[in-house]
Amino acid sequence: MTTQLMESRRAESPSSPSAPARPGRLDLHRLASRVLVALLVVIQVYPLVWLFTTSLRDAHDFAANNAFGMPHSFTLDNFRRAFEQGDLGRYVLNSIIVTAGADLLIVVCGMMGAYAIEVLGFRGSKVVRAAFLLGIIVPVQVALVPLFIDYSKVGLLDTYQSMIIPLAGFSLPMSIYLFSSFFSYISRETYEAASLDGAGPYRIFSKITLPLSVNTIVTVVMVNSIFIWNDFIFANTFVLSENLKTIPLGLQNYIGAMGKTDWTATFAAVCVTVTPLLLVFLVLNKAMIYGLESGANKG
Amino acid sequence: MKKTLWSAAAALAVALTATACGGSGNTGTSPTDVNPKGQIKPHAISWLLSRPADGAVIKTMESLAGEYAKDHPGFKLNLITTPDRPSYIQKYETLAAANKLPELFDTDATPFAEKLAKQGRMIDADKLLRSLGVYDNYRPSALDYQRFDDGSLYMVPFEYGIEVFWYNKALLEKAGVKVPTSLDDFPAMCTALRKSGVTPIALDGQDQWPLERYMAYQPFRVAGPDYIKSLKTGKASFSDPAGQKAASWLSDLGESKCFEDGFSSVGYADAQALFTSGKAAVYGIGSWELGSLATDALDPAVRNDVDYFTLPTVSGSVTDPNEYVAPSGIGMAVNAKTFDPLVRDFLKFALSKYAAAYAATGALGPTTTPAPTIPSNATPIYSKAVADADKVGKRLAMPWDTQLDPTTNTTLQQQLTLLVQGQVTPEEFVSTMDKALDENAPKYFK
Amino acid sequence: MLPHRSRLSVLVFLLPPLLLYGAAVLLPILQSLFLSFFSWDGITDMEFVGLSNYTHMLRHDPSFWTTFGNQLVYVAICLVLQLGGGLVVATLLASLTRGREVIKVLYLMPAVISTVAIAFLFQRIYATDGLINSILHAVGLGGLARPWLSDVHTVLAAVSTPEGWRFIGIYMVIIYAALIAVPKELEEAARLDGANRWQLFAHIRFPYIRPVWLTTTIMATTYALRGFDIPYLLTNGGPGQSSELVTTYMYKTAFTSTNYGYASTLSVFIVVECLVAVGLIVLLLQRKAES
Repeated sequence: MTTQLMESRRAESPSSPSAPARPGRLDLHRLASRVLVALLVVIQVYPLVWLFTTSLRDAHDFAANNAFGMPHSFTLDNFRRAFEQGDLGRYVLNSIIVTAGADLLIVVCGMMGAYAIEVLGFRGSKVVRAAFLLGIIVPVQVALVPLFIDYSKVGLLDTYQSMIIPLAGFSLPMSIYLFSSFFSYISRETYEAASLDGAGPYRIFSKITLPLSVNTIVTVVMVNSIFIWNDFIFANTFVLSENLKTIPLGLQNYIGAMGKTDWTATFAAVCVTVTPLLLVFLVLNKAMIYGLESGANKG
Repeated sequence: MKKTLWSAAAALAVALTATACGGSGNTGTSPTDVNPKGQIKPHAISWLLSRPADGAVIKTMESLAGEYAKDHPGFKLNLITTPDRPSYIQKYETLAAANKLPELFDTDATPFAEKLAKQGRMIDADKLLRSLGVYDNYRPSALDYQRFDDGSLYMVPFEYGIEVFWYNKALLEKAGVKVPTSLDDFPAMCTALRKSGVTPIALDGQDQWPLERYMAYQPFRVAGPDYIKSLKTGKASFSDPAGQKAASWLSDLGESKCFEDGFSSVGYADAQALFTSGKAAVYGIGSWELGSLATDALDPAVRNDVDYFTLPTVSGSVTDPNEYVAPSGIGMAVNAKTFDPLVRDFLKFALSKYAAAYAATGALGPTTTPAPTIPSNATPIYSKAVADADKVGKRLAMPWDTQLDPTTNTTLQQQLTLLVQGQVTPEEFVSTMDKALDENAPKYFK
Repeated sequence: MLPHRSRLSVLVFLLPPLLLYGAAVLLPILQSLFLSFFSWDGITDMEFVGLSNYTHMLRHDPSFWTTFGNQLVYVAICLVLQLGGGLVVATLLASLTRGREVIKVLYLMPAVISTVAIAFLFQRIYATDGLINSILHAVGLGGLARPWLSDVHTVLAAVSTPEGWRFIGIYMVIIYAALIAVPKELEEAARLDGANRWQLFAHIRFPYIRPVWLTTTIMATTYALRGFDIPYLLTNGGPGQSSELVTTYMYKTAFTSTNYGYASTLSVFIVVECLVAVGLIVLLLQRKAES
């Protein structure tokens, strides 16, 4: 819903967003804001750095010395244990399958639903929209026991679908909401012109709505992937076999007797498993920014 | 629109009721039929468990299952482990609600498990072990730990351990205190240790159960093991002398700053690190930690100073010094619905070989023989613990978290932290707890 | 509405999302609503108890009200951090000329790290000898040092902050995208009229990004009302019930106490609570837009 704004208003904003008006007095101000931004970046990035350095400390050093102090040791043993005790590659693969599957459903169903409600329109569309919105706010924990019973009846337990369906279902409302608020910015005239040319609803969807929505799709995928990638509760409830475990479930392998966790190995595993998502992020973010900037600079 | 919605809801309701009730009407083997007729047809079976993924139990059972599979092509044991206990319990309860528990599953002897047993969903383990001819190999206390209050047995133990207080001799000496001979010595010991600048007792406050053990100690000494059994059903109350004593003792522990500052958010590994790095003088934990505390895995700086003492008594104690918490871990239940000649045959094979294979890993097992192989890197404390485990007395101190109804238990855990932190007085604690007990116990144990 | 649509095309587009949504969300919610009128422990027979779960919740369960109050505080802290923080950072970012892409990605980092690791990190930060207390001692404010997660007065704020903080990046990116879309001519004109920064923001920028603001507010509020894992992992609701939220309370009622009926009642309440919250937000922001 963010990028769409831009797109619809591109024509109105020909100047570059970064064009400053009065350089002189503003420099001091800009310096201050740069310092502030840098400071905030430190706060945001610190956990990742800490995670990484901790994964390189040996367990004794981590336990005995200040967790935030300089490491007194360097070891790759944590990574060895991480790979030995858990099938990290498998967990990452499963997480990718689940996240991609759920994202696909969310985007396809989200766009279709929003298109039906916002663009096609029908009697009772308000009721349907409200029913979808209800789902934004339902706590997922409530659905566990009923869903489990339902899935066990239809034989969906312990499959990728048993994770993908509820994850997609619970993210769908937000996706529909985002898409329909974007679709409402595409001007009526665009559609009417296409209609006059004889394009039907399917053609309009594929020729107009879809190409214009790329940036919204990226936004939807980004926001949802974070939640899906980290999902523990559905995976823990519906998955039984070792070869379907996702990353959050796999991290359990580092928990020992009575809950004693091998933290340094856990962090090593977290470092390994966070990488794919970070990469996807970098790529998607570029796409998103490309969309934004090209729009803004066109004029 | 509305009409269809409601009729849909009604249909749903019917569907759900059917499932829910389906739970009680069980087909499959009768819980006491421990030797079902029929051929042994190899197939894959699953064990839903909550044990460390690379721990000795899983490793041992995996290799035994592999051996069995060689002679029984088509057999496979799927081990589905969720080491984090709260996550495991959520999974296990969800499966139970959907009536989808696998052939074997782990559970403590909780009131919830007792309900499952009463519904005939679990095989009678007493009969099963006898019929497999392995019953007499088990330590009586290892089996007793798994029993429900009526003495019935539905879970098979795979581990054994004693819970003791590890301490750092050097730190105690420095503070000029001796090993406490009575529980009532604890507050004074803590004060002295605090004065000498160390944390008296390392406590994993985050997981709740370790602090709850402290609640159980005084009543076990002054009133014996029956107190908790009558307490949980509401026949006894927290305001009885035993409960009062426990409350005031814990409040004293709090006042003498026995546990590390901010203990309520310190986790298992961190609490242990306090002790192994010499920052804390005493640490209460079971013999399952022998591998970290009684071998050369322990930091050399403290290795020679570490020893342990068992639960002290009090004056007028009704239980003996060799009677304390000796848990045999979470037990394995056998699902009655899926019990067949194959499951029986595999268990016969595995359980008769388990003792020897498990002892070879150096861990204390639930059977009396053979004795565990002491690892070559062990400190003398290792054998001392193994010897002490053989001397454990008859009456068991049961952990309260497996005894109380879950709601009262949650309240107790919450209140205990507040009591030790000094946010509630012992009187407030007792009255809150009795109120929670009144409200929940009768409903649960009806 | 499109002139050339047909009933069939509406169905074609509407059916897949409705099916998915119905199967994954509506069905279990209805089942849960149904369960809320029963007493059920998951194994023995269900017992119809009418509205008694609801009367118990509203009239006889002090825990419920405690957790409800906590949840509101939790939501407030998350909102301030995510929306306030997001807006501030987005504004700062919009004033930069270079490096914005990199900074945006950096800001999103905490969101991708697994919750388990975040919880553990904050446990260290809040510990007695943790980062916050060390800093306080270093700047001579040692008197303020405390075990943040054990002190009943600070624990709620302490468990809310990580949740608020880790998702600042998402809201920042969204708000930022809206901010840079504000037509520059409008801002220029206002500046020439002598508007100061605040006026510029309040009268030009904010009204322009209001639709996005509405969306982010709804997102942040509903996610916070469903907030669960960080408090659950950090303190499990303790000490006492000082950091227990309705969601963690519901989870415990269901899976610790195996009281599925009452847990369903609590979740029905969470749904209603969220509905009311969203209604209020829409009402408030739209009224402002009209005035």
